[in-house]
Amino acid sequence: MAIFNLKKREIECKIVYYGPGRCGKTTNLEYIFKSYKKQVTGEMVSINTEGDRTLFFDFLPMGLGKIKGCDIRVQLYTVPGQIKYSSTRKLVLRGVDGIIFVADSLEVRREKNMTSLKDLQANLKEYGKSIFRVPLIIQHNKRDLADEGIPLMSVEQMDRDLNRQLKVPSFPGSAIKGTGVGVTLKACLMETLKSLQKEFKWAK
Amino acid sequence: MDIRLQIKSLLSEAELYRSQGLFLEAKDKYHAASAMIHKVDKIKNKESLLKAISAKIQSLEKKEEKVKTGPASPELSEKGQDLIKNLFGENDLQKAIALAKFGQFERAIVELTPLLKDDVYRLEAGKNIIRCKLAIGSVDDAVDQYNRWDSAELFTADQLASIRKYLQSRLDQKGIEKPLPVPVGESVDNNTISNSGGIEFSMPEPEAELLDINSIGITFTSGAQKGKMVEFDVNFQSGDMLSLIISKRDKGLIDDLKDGDKLEEIQFYSPIAMFKGTAVIANKIQIDSGPKQGDFCLDLKVTST
Ligand SMILES: Nc1nc2c(ncn2[C@@H]2O[C@H](COP(=O)(O)OP(=O)(O)OP(=O)(O)O)[C@@H](O)[C@H]2O)c(=O)[nH]1
Ligand SMILES: [Mg+2]
Repeated sequence: MAIFNLKKREIECKIVYYGPGRCGKTTNLEYIFKSYKKQVTGEMVSINTEGDRTLFFDFLPMGLGKIKGCDIRVQLYTVPGQIKYSSTRKLVLRGVDGIIFVADSLEVRREKNMTSLKDLQANLKEYGKSIFRVPLIIQHNKRDLADEGIPLMSVEQMDRDLNRQLKVPSFPGSAIKGTGVGVTLKACLMETLKSLQKEFKWAK
Repeated sequence: MDIRLQIKSLLSEAELYRSQGLFLEAKDKYHAASAMIHKVDKIKNKESLLKAISAKIQSLEKKEEKVKTGPASPELSEKGQDLIKNLFGENDLQKAIALAKFGQFERAIVELTPLLKDDVYRLEAGKNIIRCKLAIGSVDDAVDQYNRWDSAELFTADQLASIRKYLQSRLDQKGIEKPLPVPVGESVDNNTISNSGGIEFSMPEPEAELLDINSIGITFTSGAQKGKMVEFDVNFQSGDMLSLIISKRDKGLIDDLKDGDKLEEIQFYSPIAMFKGTAVIANKIQIDSGPKQGDFCLDLKVTST
């Protein structure tokens, strides 16, 4: 849950990158770390296991400066996508304020996207949160692979699969090239701050 | 499409999946390519091509195995552990428990030990030390620890009983026959066990009655805080009774609460699960002496989860 310090007029919120294994969550964070030097306020920490897979989480702290007189600090996390790390995924999700669901555009990963989104819904539910109410953005990642003749799903199909009921903003992206990474994060921050604003009413 | 082109495209797909760590998908494509190659007669180097593919499949299988058997919770560097402490816990007890949740049991014990000196954290720290020792697999160590506490004066009789019941139930669950000495005057009845929630990483235990609750979030349905959820740490727990110590500074938060009030919307946070429930305020008092003088003690009876 966001920490709101009224006296210091400071908000610290938590954004989590969720999605199936190997969909590109860590790559998103790496790109942000490289490209937003001014906003990044500390080292990126990754706790990995065999084959660069995330074991516990990646962590990246950012500062957005003042918004309506309030200092906004953001903590970005990724969860481990591998099925077997479900308890860690849940731990990392605790107190989340906004979520970026990174979907894999590879046709062969279609099912995995859906399973992971369901897993997100179940985990949010255990924290008493609804996937329909939490600030959520979907990123259709790995769009660059279309140029290499690898079978990808169309963005429309992915939205049908994942976003038919949710109807949240979704963006195509290529985390490895950096396309779509910034807009996705920005959209998520906007949704998150909007929802925190409703909760805390700091900007009167 | 020309079959050669099809084979080529299957192979490049397989290669991409391999490079992204999608081993199963890569293997599928290699198998498909190799089936196709078998069917074609006029292909140069057919045998060596098939051999090369089967070598790729084998190497993928090895990699898959490595990922599968990758450690669930390896010992992290001190820096990694510090990060977990600071990111996943607000007070010292939560910080230490966070380490245990991420499987950093040795360090968790190091952090829990000084908390035994703290009146507020002592019982929880003691129980969690036992849990960590059990999780590391040193049953004897856990039992020795309990016995040392049993003969020292650190814990009250009630607290010791609570630790003993927890430890005994865990030993029973593990099928280890090791009856712990029960002080005279106390019954050996195990039915009242309420604290057998575990915190071992990735191996949560079946829950018996109410789990250990670390903190709760109360959503106020009336009064000045209406609609807000406020989180409180649970300082003591005995079965379904939770005690919260609330600083006099936060008096405003609980001004509207009085004995007998029903709290219809509570989020319970335990080390292994989160759930919603309801509770009744059993007792609200202001502490009138000691280091916590002026603070409030709120006892809640959990009525449903
Ligand atoms: N072509 C391409 N490859 C990508 C893209 N994003 C990620 N990858 C690759 O996909 C693989 C997995 O990326 P990660 O960022 O480690 O995936 P993750 O979601 O963090 O995976 P887990 O930690 O296992 O859950 C790596 O080989 C990346 O280089 C992308 O946009 N395009
Ligand atoms: Mg990762």
